[in-house]
Amino acid sequence: MRLTDNEKRMLDGEKGDPIRMAMEILLALGKIYGAEKLIPIQSAHVAGLSLKSHGLAGTEWAEDLANRGARICIPTTMNVVGVDRSRDFNFPKAWVKDQLRIETAYERMGCFGTSSCVPYYCGFVPRYQEHIAWSESSAVVFTNSVLGARDNREGGPSALASGLTGRTPLYGLHLDENRKGDVLFKVSAPLTNLADYGALGSYVGRMIGTRVPVFEGIQGPAIEDLVYLGAALASSGGVAMFHAVGVTPEAPTVEAAFGKKKYEVIEISGKEIEEGKRKLTSAKEKKVDYVAIGCPHCSLNQLKEMAMMLKGRRVNKETTLWVHTNVAIKSLARQLGYVQTIEEAGGVVTQDLCTILGNPEALGFKALATNSPKMAFYAPGSNGFSVWYGSADQCVEAAVQGTWKA
Amino acid sequence: MAIIVKGRSISKGRAEGEALVCRQPIGFNFGIDVATGVITEYNHELFGKSIKDKVLLFPHGKGSTGGSYVVYQLAKNKTGPKAIINITTETIIAVGAIMGGIPVVDSLEKNPYELIFDGDLVKVDADQGLIAIEK
Repeated sequence: MRLTDNEKRMLDGEKGDPIRMAMEILLALGKIYGAEKLIPIQSAHVAGLSLKSHGLAGTEWAEDLANRGARICIPTTMNVVGVDRSRDFNFPKAWVKDQLRIETAYERMGCFGTSSCVPYYCGFVPRYQEHIAWSESSAVVFTNSVLGARDNREGGPSALASGLTGRTPLYGLHLDENRKGDVLFKVSAPLTNLADYGALGSYVGRMIGTRVPVFEGIQGPAIEDLVYLGAALASSGGVAMFHAVGVTPEAPTVEAAFGKKKYEVIEISGKEIEEGKRKLTSAKEKKVDYVAIGCPHCSLNQLKEMAMMLKGRRVNKETTLWVHTNVAIKSLARQLGYVQTIEEAGGVVTQDLCTILGNPEALGFKALATNSPKMAFYAPGSNGFSVWYGSADQCVEAAVQGTWKA
Repeated sequence: MAIIVKGRSISKGRAEGEALVCRQPIGFNFGIDVATGVITEYNHELFGKSIKDKVLLFPHGKGSTGGSYVVYQLAKNKTGPKAIINITTETIIAVGAIMGGIPVVDSLEKNPYELIFDGDLVKVDADQGLIAIEK
């Protein structure tokens, strides 16, 4: 790789040991992917900050970096963590203590404690064609696909390395030629809610691996629909970018989405959407003791919709309802009265954490209902929950009744 | 008699162990128990199996980008694979393996799924980018 004199000094340790290590990570990736040089980036987003991901080994790694003077040099946001800093959920004390150590270490390095997987809902919005180094697979797919920014599927440490150095290797989705579609999915199924978009992403993600899907037939989606489609593609598969013809910025037409590439065509009807939903459902017993909404974190509009659905109703006394968002959206939602409406109905609006990165299993829940394809995918492995997957309406019904109705 | 195949070095080091062959991508974040190395992803082909001390063949990583820290934890806990062979390594596995010192080789000259089977003794020399399968 070609390095500037300044980059060579960073690699030689003249700017400190953390910068040297960061450069080593970036150069290793550059070599693997055949990058010819490093390029400047304008922001980074660091994921994997839950104690579940870091463990004690990762926690000590981060503290050691902060102790040795590691400081970020571009705006760097923090992903979802494992505790809600505004309240005590009776999580195990050791969990809370070690989780806060991780957050403190990254904040000492200068990262913003946004603690959210949707930094673009709180002011961090990469522009079209901007080069960034974000981790959090759902955010990677969103920034590439919907915003047209340029990002590879970073891991937490490589995103931190980019935050510390302001650089990333030039390869992958930073280059025009790698952003074209591979397979065309002609969607004839009606997509009426987030769960439908999630089921589509789940079905296609399992089939396509790390290739770039192009969707034709998606009409007038809300931003949240695209967030959930991307989150499903990225969790069920390894997708870092999709196109939706007439919807996303690099796909005004099918031709523009594929360039000169040859592609296969796959039809998506209602049958495939149902199959996507079935694959996300692992529960057999109808009883539901935990309902969770908001993976990725809810937008203000999602919180408003939850408030409208819950107004005047009451969550079953044997069921817990959590609605996940970040502190920025929660503050707005409180000002507008949505938080109060949800909590008067017996639900809880959480900040900072989420189901899969938090520790709700420590509170004894067993059976989850959700409209989130990402949560449904990870909860069996991360929390040990059995899962019902369906629409927000179905989830609210499950919260009120304590049982799932298909 | 050993079959030697050349590939590309991703994360340096040398190790040997019993092969565990997996045809599906593996998501490390939330997909594995770091205390034991047992795969916990529902519906996964390795569900309930341990990758500890194996030479693990799988196509590539998938899923949550927090997985690098999990690969690092597995290495520190000594519950991870001795070495990894991928079809094409991606960032999550590469960074976690570099942090944790797990040797990784990818892009072999021959299809590893036609050469490596569960239980084969496989030596990985990721300094040279070579693997040797003892038959």
